[in-house]
Amino acid sequence: MDVLRVEDLRKSFRHDMSLRRREVLHGVSFEAIAGEILGFLGPNGAGKTTTIKIILGLLRADSGDVRLFGRPAGERAVRARIGFLPENPYVFPHLSLIEFLEFCGHMTGMRGTVLRARIEEVIWMVGLESSRARLKTYSKGQLQRVGLAQAILHDPELLILDEPFSGLDPLGRIKMRDILVGLRNQGKTIFFSSHILPDVETMCDRTCIIREGLIVRCVGIDDLIRIGESRVEMIVRGCPPECFDTLDDYLESKNSTGDEFFLLVKKQDYVRTVVQVVYNSGGEILKIVNQHPSLEEVFLNEMLSEFKQSRVKTPEEEHTFIGF
Amino acid sequence: MMRIASIAHNTFRESIRERMLSIALLFGFILMVSTYALSPLAVGAKQKIIMDVGLAAISILGVLTAVLLGSTLVHKEVDKKAIFMILTRPISRLEYLIGKYCGLVIAIVTMMAVMTGVMVVMILSGRGQLTPAVFAAVYGALLETVVMGAVVIFFSTFTTPILTMLFSLGIFVMGSLSNDLRIFAQRYGGEAMKLVTGVLYYLLPNLQVFNLRHEAVHDLHFRGIDLLNASLYAALYCSVILFFSYMIFRRREFL
Repeated sequence: MDVLRVEDLRKSFRHDMSLRRREVLHGVSFEAIAGEILGFLGPNGAGKTTTIKIILGLLRADSGDVRLFGRPAGERAVRARIGFLPENPYVFPHLSLIEFLEFCGHMTGMRGTVLRARIEEVIWMVGLESSRARLKTYSKGQLQRVGLAQAILHDPELLILDEPFSGLDPLGRIKMRDILVGLRNQGKTIFFSSHILPDVETMCDRTCIIREGLIVRCVGIDDLIRIGESRVEMIVRGCPPECFDTLDDYLESKNSTGDEFFLLVKKQDYVRTVVQVVYNSGGEILKIVNQHPSLEEVFLNEMLSEFKQSRVKTPEEEHTFIGF
Repeated sequence: MMRIASIAHNTFRESIRERMLSIALLFGFILMVSTYALSPLAVGAKQKIIMDVGLAAISILGVLTAVLLGSTLVHKEVDKKAIFMILTRPISRLEYLIGKYCGLVIAIVTMMAVMTGVMVVMILSGRGQLTPAVFAAVYGALLETVVMGAVVIFFSTFTTPILTMLFSLGIFVMGSLSNDLRIFAQRYGGEAMKLVTGVLYYLLPNLQVFNLRHEAVHDLHFRGIDLLNASLYAALYCSVILFFSYMIFRRREFL
């Protein structure tokens, strides 16, 4: 079941004192399935935060449709089922952690002992201690955790997180990752944007890559294996160096330490040829490992393809048009 | 209702923890205490001076604090993006605005109550008499502040704090003079002037209806029906202006 469905979302902004509008989303479409972690990747200015704000009703789309739990996104009942962590959350500095979470709880209709018990639970979950200190004394990483605490306080079914790893130290990132994976294991759906690709790769079930206001790829992390050509890493010993002279077209790289050679074979199909050459020259194979493209490589390929392509933009994709 | 109360409570808490409210209170206290120094200049009129300065301080500081505090209330949350964590919850933008307005009014009323308490103590310690007109004048000042609070919230939904302050103070000055200006134009002005002052009279809040300071200081009779009418006028004006605030805020996008 789709928890979140975004269809053909378009959004343009007007420049300050001008009638010219710049389209930043050119028909974004994707969906998040119940119980999955969906990563939303893209370079700065690609339209990640704009998309998230439209989903949450903070911005209005020019056209397109956003459905949450099968209902229109703006409905109050729908918003009660969502938790949101903005990028660099600003929490009220005049409040203590407990006061802030009480305030957030009241706004989602929680009260009394249920709220107090839940506050203690989320404070423990995010690894903060309930103190009377005002939030203005908290560090950036602590504030990020406070932001997560308010987002999960009302036990939402869908969590929307904008750059949740921003400002966290390595331990904080691991903690955040564990919390999110734990929530996924409880059946929650998580949709988040991030720049930190290893984290996305580690915890996401699927990822959507957005570039210049268009989704260029939505792929399951398991499917990464099937994207592009897998390379093969080989470690061989006992071959004369000149035996590889005929393999230039088959090898991506070749390094040696002593009598051991580290070979990176361009394609799996070439392995048989390389193995034959090694055995024929009296060498032996110590190791063969399949190397799949990482998310980082897929992401970079998608980003770099922008420069490789010299596509002509359709009128809809043109960035500027006159409008009111 | 709980959501409005929650927003109002947070706004109140934020306001009373602001330095501005404490400074306004301190300034009002100094102003009232300074009347002890002025009283020898007007023999036998010490109580009138205390009342006159006290009521003026309550009224003017009430409005000024409402303008200064209110002008940043909404803008700060939009600017710092704290509003993202509020409006993405099951709360309507109308509830948010009403909550902010109520919180502002409660904070200002608290400040005015403290200043009124100081004035009452000063009057009683000088063996003066507290007449109903004094409390009516304080109530009038309160209504004036409540109306100005709504005006401030209206401007803060679409413009910057500085412009909100300028517009609100402009409305305060014109609202305090609109009746006099209309009368003046009707007597001496041309048709265009009559039309302009007439439109301004009905468009701007008529803050003169809340001014009972003269009656309080000179212990003059005031009619209860006037106070009731002033209350109804304030309620109606606030409702209308908050409705327009909502209409603007409802369409607002948050970048």
